[in-house]
Amino acid sequence: MTATLEVGRPEAVARRATLVPLAARELRRFVLNPVFLFAVVMTMWVAWSRAGAAVTEIDEVNGYPAVFLGGFGMMAAYWLTRSMRASEPVAGVTPVTRPARTAALCWVAIVPFLCGILALLGFLRTYPLGDAAYGPFSPSARIAVLVGQIVVPSLGGPLLGVALGRWVRFPGAAFVLFLVIFGWVELVTILTISRPDSAPIAVLRLFSPFAFFTLHADAGVTAWRGSPWFFIGWQLALCAIAVLVALLRGAEGRVRARIIRALTVAGAAAVILLVLAAAGGFTHAVTA
Amino acid sequence: MIRPVLRAGAWPAVVGVSGVAVVVGGCGAAFPAAATVLLPICFVLLAAAAAFTLDEPASLVVDVTPTGPVRRTGIRAVALMAPLTAGAVVMLAAAVRGLALPWGAAGLALAGNVLLGFAAACVVRTRTGEPGAVVGTAVVLVLMAPALVPHVARWVRTFPAPGAGGLSSDTVWWTVLAVCAVAVAVSVGGRNLSPWMSTVPISRRRRSYPTVQPP
Repeated sequence: MTATLEVGRPEAVARRATLVPLAARELRRFVLNPVFLFAVVMTMWVAWSRAGAAVTEIDEVNGYPAVFLGGFGMMAAYWLTRSMRASEPVAGVTPVTRPARTAALCWVAIVPFLCGILALLGFLRTYPLGDAAYGPFSPSARIAVLVGQIVVPSLGGPLLGVALGRWVRFPGAAFVLFLVIFGWVELVTILTISRPDSAPIAVLRLFSPFAFFTLHADAGVTAWRGSPWFFIGWQLALCAIAVLVALLRGAEGRVRARIIRALTVAGAAAVILLVLAAAGGFTHAVTA
Repeated sequence: MIRPVLRAGAWPAVVGVSGVAVVVGGCGAAFPAAATVLLPICFVLLAAAAAFTLDEPASLVVDVTPTGPVRRTGIRAVALMAPLTAGAVVMLAAAVRGLALPWGAAGLALAGNVLLGFAAACVVRTRTGEPGAVVGTAVVLVLMAPALVPHVARWVRTFPAPGAGGLSSDTVWWTVLAVCAVAVAVSVGGRNLSPWMSTVPISRRRRSYPTVQPP
């Protein structure tokens, strides 16, 4: 036991010593990526230009950080991951394994995640939690809605981009996936407008990395069914799945077996959290 | 000559993206309430598919063969039939489902989207052998701007949806068609592009190679 620990500790230190410079290098490349820079500028511009505008419900404005930091961040991370393909014959013979390089790539998601937190703080300054635009949600649920719509997509998008870049060879995969997710969110939102109390449609609406929770009508702001807190859990499970799927590429032996085991656990957790997200919260649409 | 040039095309990318577009557009036809959102996304995907028609992995060899860019591009343009057919199928399905859309304007938007992707690919093809990924992404970002950025939607419309403000989609797409026709003619004609477009354009490089004239 002692011997194992003694051997294990220097290995862990060595792994960290390799990961940190790799992650720092990937971070620098990601931050300088024109698509990501464009996403940051657009997020700031939309937030600034809509600061004084009257908003009837929060979903009018809080989708933009998810689109720019999450969606465009996914494209940037995908390109970053794919850009290493050409040098794979050289990089592949270095002592650093591919999962270690993938882990370093996954660390770049910290940047859009921090940008998402800043966007959330800016959003809370413009639209305080007491604002009527949040509808009938409790203060804690309002925070959950904002975190699930602004912060977590900013983290998950780039992680999905890394997973996609590791597994898919088609160079246009990122924008195709972006458009498919965008179309799916629009479709299920429109279906929810026509049948707000339907449980299967609520599951479909939440079966997505991003979901709307409110709608403005003549009677006021309507909150749709579903638990925003469990939705965050579902989103985080998706993030974990994205990281594990990315790490699986090139993993061998015991590491591969452990990743597959973790993937099974994360998949089961995701299904449970999706069910809880659809079953929890309001059990029918509530207008305030 | 025609068959080898066509066979070398990026058919999996063109057909694959067109297939995804058919699925998205099919959902728009199946759920009429979502049609004005999903049909534009379908058209954007078809524009992206058109951007892959000129991809040529062996461009370093192909570009110095006696077959000129006009002929090569003309042959490759046949691949545009895939996105155009896919779009026509989606529009037909939507019409059969009873969707009330201005079909002439929608057809113009489809043609404009596809030609925009192709024209952008023609221009970038003078710099790189595989313009599909870059042009596809750029075209998606530009064409999705009205849906993603609220301010742009107030200025222009890229789809003839009823009730929206801004410049009409017909005006936008007639202008785009005209500009694209000029861009295709200029880039395929082998004229030098502006200096900012390229440091070493392929057309200029090609001149340094001894080319064999066809008998």
